[in-house]
Amino acid sequence: MSSSEHKLDILVDSFVNKLKRRQITGSYQVAHETCQFLMRVTSSSRWQSPEEFIALIRSIGQRIVKAQPREFAAGNVLRRVLALVRDEISDRSASASADNAPVNTAMFRLLVPPPDKQEQENNAQQGQNTRKIERKDDLRSIVIQGIRDLIDEIASVHENIAQMTVEMIHDNEVLLTPTPGSETVLNFLLKASLKRKFTVLITENYPNDIKLCHKAAKKLAEANIETVIIPDSTIYAVMSRVGKVLIGARAVFANGGCVTASGVATACECAKEYRTPVFAVAGLYKFSPNYPFDRDTLIEVGNSGKVLPYKDSDLVGKCEVTNPVLDYVPPEFIDIYITNIGGFSPNFIYRIVLDNYRTDDVDFS
Amino acid sequence: MVENSKVDAAATNGKKMPSSNASSSHSEKGAEAKPPQKKLSNKELKMLKKKAKAAKRAARKAANQNGQQSSQGVKTASHIKKQMISAKIKDSNVRIPPMFGHLETREERISASPVIASIVHPSILSLTLKMSTYKVVGSTSRCVAMLDAFKDVIKSYKTPQGTSLQRNLTSHLSHQIEYLKTGRPLSISMGNAIRWLKQRISLVPIDMSDDDGKKMLLDEIDQFIKEKIVYSDRVIAEYASRHIQNNFKILTYAHSQVLAELFQYCAIEQEKHFEIFIIDSRPLFEGKKLAKELAQHQNIKCHYNLINSLSSVLEKSNIDFCFLGAHAMLSNGRLYSRVGTALVAMAAKKKNIPVLVCCESLKFSDKVQLDSVTLNELGDSDDLINTRPFNKVGFNLQQYLNKIEERKGHRNGSNNGGHNGNRNRSNDNEADVVDDGKDTILRNWKELRKLYILNILYDLTPPDYIQKVITELGALPPSSVPVILREYKSIS
Repeated sequence: MSSSEHKLDILVDSFVNKLKRRQITGSYQVAHETCQFLMRVTSSSRWQSPEEFIALIRSIGQRIVKAQPREFAAGNVLRRVLALVRDEISDRSASASADNAPVNTAMFRLLVPPPDKQEQENNAQQGQNTRKIERKDDLRSIVIQGIRDLIDEIASVHENIAQMTVEMIHDNEVLLTPTPGSETVLNFLLKASLKRKFTVLITENYPNDIKLCHKAAKKLAEANIETVIIPDSTIYAVMSRVGKVLIGARAVFANGGCVTASGVATACECAKEYRTPVFAVAGLYKFSPNYPFDRDTLIEVGNSGKVLPYKDSDLVGKCEVTNPVLDYVPPEFIDIYITNIGGFSPNFIYRIVLDNYRTDDVDFS
Repeated sequence: MVENSKVDAAATNGKKMPSSNASSSHSEKGAEAKPPQKKLSNKELKMLKKKAKAAKRAARKAANQNGQQSSQGVKTASHIKKQMISAKIKDSNVRIPPMFGHLETREERISASPVIASIVHPSILSLTLKMSTYKVVGSTSRCVAMLDAFKDVIKSYKTPQGTSLQRNLTSHLSHQIEYLKTGRPLSISMGNAIRWLKQRISLVPIDMSDDDGKKMLLDEIDQFIKEKIVYSDRVIAEYASRHIQNNFKILTYAHSQVLAELFQYCAIEQEKHFEIFIIDSRPLFEGKKLAKELAQHQNIKCHYNLINSLSSVLEKSNIDFCFLGAHAMLSNGRLYSRVGTALVAMAAKKKNIPVLVCCESLKFSDKVQLDSVTLNELGDSDDLINTRPFNKVGFNLQQYLNKIEERKGHRNGSNNGGHNGNRNRSNDNEADVVDDGKDTILRNWKELRKLYILNILYDLTPPDYIQKVITELGALPPSSVPVILREYKSIS
């Protein structure tokens, strides 16, 4: 008993440390790793009832969110799994009660007096007792199967999103992407290039993403897409020539806003100014049921030495320098979200979120 | 080539005058060109001018005749231009994105070529180099540097025989300007200053001696710099300082000389305490220059941010005013300035922060333009391939460095068996400290046929974002730019 708890502790600790040390970064990676981790937790942990399992996952979730509050994908995956468990429980109780008393499914039964409550409960109790043991292992395998499905879903996110390319891009279009570091965007463009001919303007996102930008630009150019690297300052100058702006989101909130690389908010504002449509691509695992009430807690701040290198010693120490890594884009700047389950308008995101998570699990504490 | 250059040197001065075959007109003019001590009457002046014209005509005729026999000796304006072009460094490697194919590319010239050296004044040569490597940057400082170089040119100018200062100096300057343009296109302020200078030259009294005329021009240039730039900046600073109060937070973009003066004026003379948020961008990082100028003042608290954190800066700090510098104010009220200005102005406007532009009237232009793409200045794409701040080097220096590198490579190639791995590792470590410029992902970007790097230098800010434009003539809405141009055209 204690040894298995110990084992679980080690498992959780190592994962939390990996997150803290940023050995796992990027929402895709984080989501994937979290799934694997949960799989291990599910199979190695011991619990008596589904409620206990839920409590366990929630306590782990608390630790993970505390370890890396801005890697929303980890929390989202946990919530997905919790929703899975809860669904299963409610299914069972529903089917359990359905065995005895079918739920009112038709209008005319509304007026029929319900069967005796006491009797019904007794029946349920009996059923529960007999099934309790078989049910636990059953639930375990169901959860593991669910996590497997989730892994498959995450792995095929790019392909599913890429199916929408034809609907989004016309021939000879000029696209601008202010998030050069986004894998999803890169994949989207590469897939799109098979069907359409277009030009991509890709911003540098200096200083945080510039290397990724160069890598992405190289990949795009190698795929025979006309690629133009532009400095971040040039966005306004070229916006009049841009057909659509394509951004990759790092996390999408229930109000339809999203967190993404720094500088994107200004780019989207500029697009709005020019009435250029903005579409964001994001896998479902990036959708978070939280609301972005406090912008400051969402924005991560990075190494300011990248902004003002120590070479400028006469400035370092005299100037206050900040280097926000992330940026919050409000929903009014975004026209549509392209996800692996289809395209949605930002003001519909709350509904997608409700479909996938339980409200009980929005907050882990 | 040597002979050619000798001929050039001889012919530079006597631009339209072949040395041998115009002796008749020569002597005539030589006698008259002697500065008469007494003041000439109008009639006499007219006569003089007429004669000068006639002499010129004769000379041109002679030149044409001569030209058929020895075209080498002829030195017409177009000829010089042709030779300048031949000194161009041909760089077929320049790649511009299709949308921007219409923009002019920079063409560097070999300053060591004898043709160039014989025509172009050394100060112009050095200034061109400084401009093309962004050592001298910014509309105002470029304009002042150019006028200073012109002073050198005028000082060492000698009117060749057979022509007058009014006529020949202008064309002599034109060649200098032609060369200067090869470093970077002229700024609007430079264009305005040149127009003014040429007009002044043409107004030098014909009866004035060359020395007096040159002295007059030099004084006038000094006067111009003082009046149009130094004092104008002072007036603008005084006016704009009313908007800066204690504990205000000011947003600004990149570097502008007049703004630097304004902030220093507020901090030193008015002893105001305020915070300044400098937004900066690649590849020039001009904001660092401003930060260096301002950070030493105790009254000013400096914040330095790159343009990608603009939204965070606006969101977090309660900015009171946004001050912007200008490269030019166009006649339709648009602000033509360092690329990125429009983005800052837009973001500030959206947050209801008043955007003020400080701009000397020298930078007003009667051009109209609607978007940033149609007319702009293209920078070198290679300036953007480094992931670190770069230090631009001129073409000649680059070639020299390459040669050294090559030699080094040879030497290393002969004796580095086990060394190689070691060196690579240390390179990785150094990558964070040293900017070696070679170690980037896109080092060979030109081999990728579909990859372009766009480096334009300016953008256009629509008048809706600008609250007012502060000039030395007063503050006005951007829509009043043509009024200033109209009213003050006669004066300047």
